[in-house]
Amino acid sequence: MKKFLTAVFTMASTTCAFAQETPNSPLEISGSVDTYFKYDFAKKPNIKTSFASDHNSVSLGMIDLVLKKRTGKASFVGELSFGPRGQAQSLINAAEDVSSFHIQNLYVNYDFTDQFSMTAGYMGTFIGYEVISPVGNFNYSTSYLFTNGPFQNAGIKATYKFSDKVSLMAGLFNDWNVYTATRGVSSVGGQLMIAPVEGWTAYLNVLSGAGAGGYGTIEDLTTSYQITSKFKLGLNAANYDVDNDGGGYAGAALYPQFAVADAVTLGLRGEYFKYKEVAGVAGDKYTAVTFTANIKSGGLTFIPEVRLDHNGNKPFVKENGMAAPNAGQFSLAAVYAF
Amino acid sequence: MKYGLLLVFTLFSITLSAQQKLFTTAEDGKFIYYKIIDSQKVGKDVLVQRAKNFINAQQKIIQTENQTDSSLTAKGKLIIDKTVLVVGHPSGEVIYNLNFEARDHKYRFWLTDFKFIPYQRDRYGNFVATTHIGSPLEKKVDKLTSGQWKDIQAAAYQKVEKFGESLKKFLASDATVKKIAKPAETISTKKW
Repeated sequence: MKKFLTAVFTMASTTCAFAQETPNSPLEISGSVDTYFKYDFAKKPNIKTSFASDHNSVSLGMIDLVLKKRTGKASFVGELSFGPRGQAQSLINAAEDVSSFHIQNLYVNYDFTDQFSMTAGYMGTFIGYEVISPVGNFNYSTSYLFTNGPFQNAGIKATYKFSDKVSLMAGLFNDWNVYTATRGVSSVGGQLMIAPVEGWTAYLNVLSGAGAGGYGTIEDLTTSYQITSKFKLGLNAANYDVDNDGGGYAGAALYPQFAVADAVTLGLRGEYFKYKEVAGVAGDKYTAVTFTANIKSGGLTFIPEVRLDHNGNKPFVKENGMAAPNAGQFSLAAVYAF
Repeated sequence: MKYGLLLVFTLFSITLSAQQKLFTTAEDGKFIYYKIIDSQKVGKDVLVQRAKNFINAQQKIIQTENQTDSSLTAKGKLIIDKTVLVVGHPSGEVIYNLNFEARDHKYRFWLTDFKFIPYQRDRYGNFVATTHIGSPLEKKVDKLTSGQWKDIQAAAYQKVEKFGESLKKFLASDATVKKIAKPAETISTKKW
């Protein structure tokens, strides 16, 4: 670790001299609010992914407020969320901290050159396709891959941009989703970004160290390709192994989206996900299909969505309380971004 | 109260005048920003060199594509902001083609092929392009998005107009000559 830090700071100090002045920006303020109605076909909450959890209720997502400011080569981002989506449903220590607001991003960044920058603080995770903010997702409900992966990583990272087509990030991080490390600065992570052709971007991610369920390693591929002006295809595939046969998960999700009008885009999410065996006990396997529309008017997006999940081990329930292999839900969300 | 009303009406009239300024359309149906400028006593070669210097000074947002001894073309982008007073954030970028032609004592330039690329906030709170494929700015859109699209067109015009003014100002002055730095003024406390 000492060698890594030395290398990073040597690189930073040698490249500092070549840095160009970047103009200051005004204080940026942005954010979003979201609300939803969900109806489970079994008439009780059934699908256990993150957010949109309430059945037959007009419920709140969150209000999300983001501040950003750049002064020369230095910048900061502070993002706070208030509401169920950004509080109890995002926090790993939700039981103790249910009424707290939640920090989504709190970091400082310094661009030593146009190519090399360093960032320190609490950041949205670099792992995975979906994010906590509903503005960043096409579907309103979330995938199993998202729910089981990290939401945020606190740490320090260095990014080097070789060109517009290739960049590399490496960093040291705390355990997942905590403001304060419980097991020290215990993870190392990296991300290789490649853009083979215009419109296609792929991120190869690795995070190894303290995480959910113990110490383990995630390998993750997140990619999207805007094939035409109307058609976009996204893919997320991940594998997480917890050390000492502690389980983990593996899965993949495909995200085709097609714009049928200026204001209307239809999309599908097809996912396969499985928990790994723990101490000889096989984990559950899920398949899920989510059909979503995004209807935009100004800053407002309506998101009607139908979702069907399947698991042969019958973890779901029917209306009469009997175990069932299938679950379905309809939701209608409204997300306003400003 | 009186000053408050005055301020409201001033802001309202500024907003109205801003809305009235929109692109004109060229013979190919695309939006165009077109200017012919008389530049007294400045020769063709100097004008082309100054235009090149103008582009080279901001290579991050505009790059030369082709050039001859009397003309050049370039591709660039302008960031559109969603701003209220001093706060706001980038909402997208407009990419364009710049054409510049010079003769002795006059030149013309026009910007066209405007395409808008919307920005979206990413997982780190930064605004980034959502796609690499831009929508032509003169495109007719459906009712749901027409209000927002008109705002984008108006904001793009303001940015293009500002860009045009800065180009004219740059070409009107010999910006290649470096000014001799004056020594910093100091105040002596020894004298009364």
